[in-house]
Amino acid sequence: MALLKVKFDQKKRVKLAQGLWLMNWLSVLAGIIIFSLGLFLKIELRKRSDVMNNSESHFVPNSLIGMGVLSCVFNSLAGKICYDALDPTKYAKWKPWLKPYLAVCVLFNIALLLVTLCCFLMRGSLESTLAHGLKNGMKYYRDTDTPGRCFMKKTIDMLQIEFKCCGNNGFRDWFEIQWISNRYLDFSSKEVKDRIKSNVDGRYLVDGVPFSCCNPSSPRPCIQYQLTNNSAHYSYDHQTEELNLWVNGCRAALLSYYSGLMNSTGAVTLLAWLFEVTITIGLRYLHTALEGVSNPEDPESESEGWLLEKSISETWKAFLESLKKLGKSNQVEAEGADAGQAPEAG
Amino acid sequence: MAPVLPLVLPLQPRIRLAQGLWLLSWLLALAGGLALLCSGHLLAQLWQLGTFLAPSCPFAALPQVALAAGGVALGTGLVGAGASRASLDAAQYPPWRKVLGPLLVVGTAGGGGLLVLALVLALALPGSLDTGLEEGLGTALAHYKDTEVPGHCHAKRLLDELQLRHHCCGRHGYKDWFGIQWVSSRYLDPNDQDVLDRLQSNVEGLYLIDGVPFSCCNPHSPRPCLQSRLSEPHAHPLFDPRQPNLNLWAHGCHGVLLGHLQGLAGTLGGALAVTFLLQILALLGLRYLQTALEGLGGVIDREGETQGYLFPSGLKDMLKTAWRQGGVAHRPAPEEAPPEEAPPKGGLPEA
Repeated sequence: MALLKVKFDQKKRVKLAQGLWLMNWLSVLAGIIIFSLGLFLKIELRKRSDVMNNSESHFVPNSLIGMGVLSCVFNSLAGKICYDALDPTKYAKWKPWLKPYLAVCVLFNIALLLVTLCCFLMRGSLESTLAHGLKNGMKYYRDTDTPGRCFMKKTIDMLQIEFKCCGNNGFRDWFEIQWISNRYLDFSSKEVKDRIKSNVDGRYLVDGVPFSCCNPSSPRPCIQYQLTNNSAHYSYDHQTEELNLWVNGCRAALLSYYSGLMNSTGAVTLLAWLFEVTITIGLRYLHTALEGVSNPEDPESESEGWLLEKSISETWKAFLESLKKLGKSNQVEAEGADAGQAPEAG
Repeated sequence: MAPVLPLVLPLQPRIRLAQGLWLLSWLLALAGGLALLCSGHLLAQLWQLGTFLAPSCPFAALPQVALAAGGVALGTGLVGAGASRASLDAAQYPPWRKVLGPLLVVGTAGGGGLLVLALVLALALPGSLDTGLEEGLGTALAHYKDTEVPGHCHAKRLLDELQLRHHCCGRHGYKDWFGIQWVSSRYLDPNDQDVLDRLQSNVEGLYLIDGVPFSCCNPHSPRPCLQSRLSEPHAHPLFDPRQPNLNLWAHGCHGVLLGHLQGLAGTLGGALAVTFLLQILALLGLRYLQTALEGLGGVIDREGETQGYLFPSGLKDMLKTAWRQGGVAHRPAPEEAPPEEAPPKGGLPEA
């Protein structure tokens, strides 16, 4: 009644062990790749932590790094076991460790699957972090004299140039904040005084954008100021002009960049997970096949390999029974100890 | 007929030679691969910056020759490693016997020649970059406004992207923009008095302004970018001339690009020099190994001593033998020719 029984003769066992050895070393390579992907993701998140308010979650890259290291360790160990499995004397010293090792492997595979799922689900939290971070970044754009925020202008400018985007959702976000520092405003000028009086908070709002929003593909020199005033520029209609500034908002641009990165990382990790599951199954077959060698003196004999000794329901029942027995044996020991102490006290 | 530079090689030194040669060949393959990567990188950079180099500039020949030289060095290294590995094993050596001869010829003539050519180009060509860049950048600046002229419509976008990426402005400084018309005439208002004044102020009727495009702006500046009216000191309030001017990029694109490309060419030249050195050593070692093993008749396990040499006889003797061989070939009756055994590799051309 074993689950998925397969007959093994000596040649098949040797082939299985050799194949598993190769797969384990390939899996170490995959573990290294996952480690470097996690490291790369962590570096990319740190690079842009300024526009994410330094509050982005590093859970996914950290767990990828951990999984990569664990995968390397487990798979090199399994490779050594498979190499020794061909030699009965060497295999004897690994025998008692194989069952707990397989249990640990199963847990590791489950954890790897969870990390893969997290890769695909991280997008949601990133979106809200980016929205808040960019809003604050634009608010502090003008504070080039405030220590601790003086780099924000440079960061936002380089971000808009590199990702070909403007503002949070679009270039109109710049109309609603004061992005020109008071230090460079001539307060004796009438125009400046009018603008400051025109709104409740006393801010200098313009219908203009910083230079980093300009699109180099535009056929005309960049129009940055008086964007909504058609008569201020020759042959200009702000409703139909498309190439002058970047159309995308930086939140969407950054989100699509990070989503692409995490989707590819998730795909690679999923492939690695499938590989690991195959290796665990193969190792289980090798373990049971070597256990089942009927005549220990004759290594050439046939044996059977299986996944589970009994069917799934029976194995689950046996597992629950063993748990209960463990609980009962603890109780019996405790009672025994009490009974032992009572006569001593008495 | 004394052999040139003979070397006595008993069994142990032969084995040492083969092992050392194996390592040297892998190092040569690595160096060849490195040279290949460097020249590939330089080619990619030149392809990107193609518009800013005059078409008559021969600089592009350097990475192409270096690519070929690196490829030959890589191949020589790999085959040499295989041959020296096989020379330690009697069963594997016979097929490699036939390969070693052609390998030495190709490696010396082809690889050596290409490497020398690449080294010469690496030393001579960067000088021509100066004039090439001067011409290319001048043309790009002149066509900045021609966004509607077929053939030059990409000049604006490419020049803007160059200035944004390499952090430079104009050819030698931002004032270059004052001397050309970079605003397309299509966007100039013919009824504006200021425009008409400017057009009439110079002989060629160009619209010249003391302003620069947005791509010259430096994001490190604490104030929003000042692009226009740069020659008027009082046009912008609170402009402090004593503070270091962070407003625009300070360097000209000519200097930046020249330094960038010359640096890449220098790195490539270094990689080529190392490859050349390793190739000479590897080829010498392979020649000694080959002649020593030929002395044993191609059977390696024997304990005997043999002599390895560079050439079986001196230059004069080699030429005499080659001449006699040529004479034998022209005689009418081949069976009358004395059974002359030509020396195995006596006809090798001078490296």
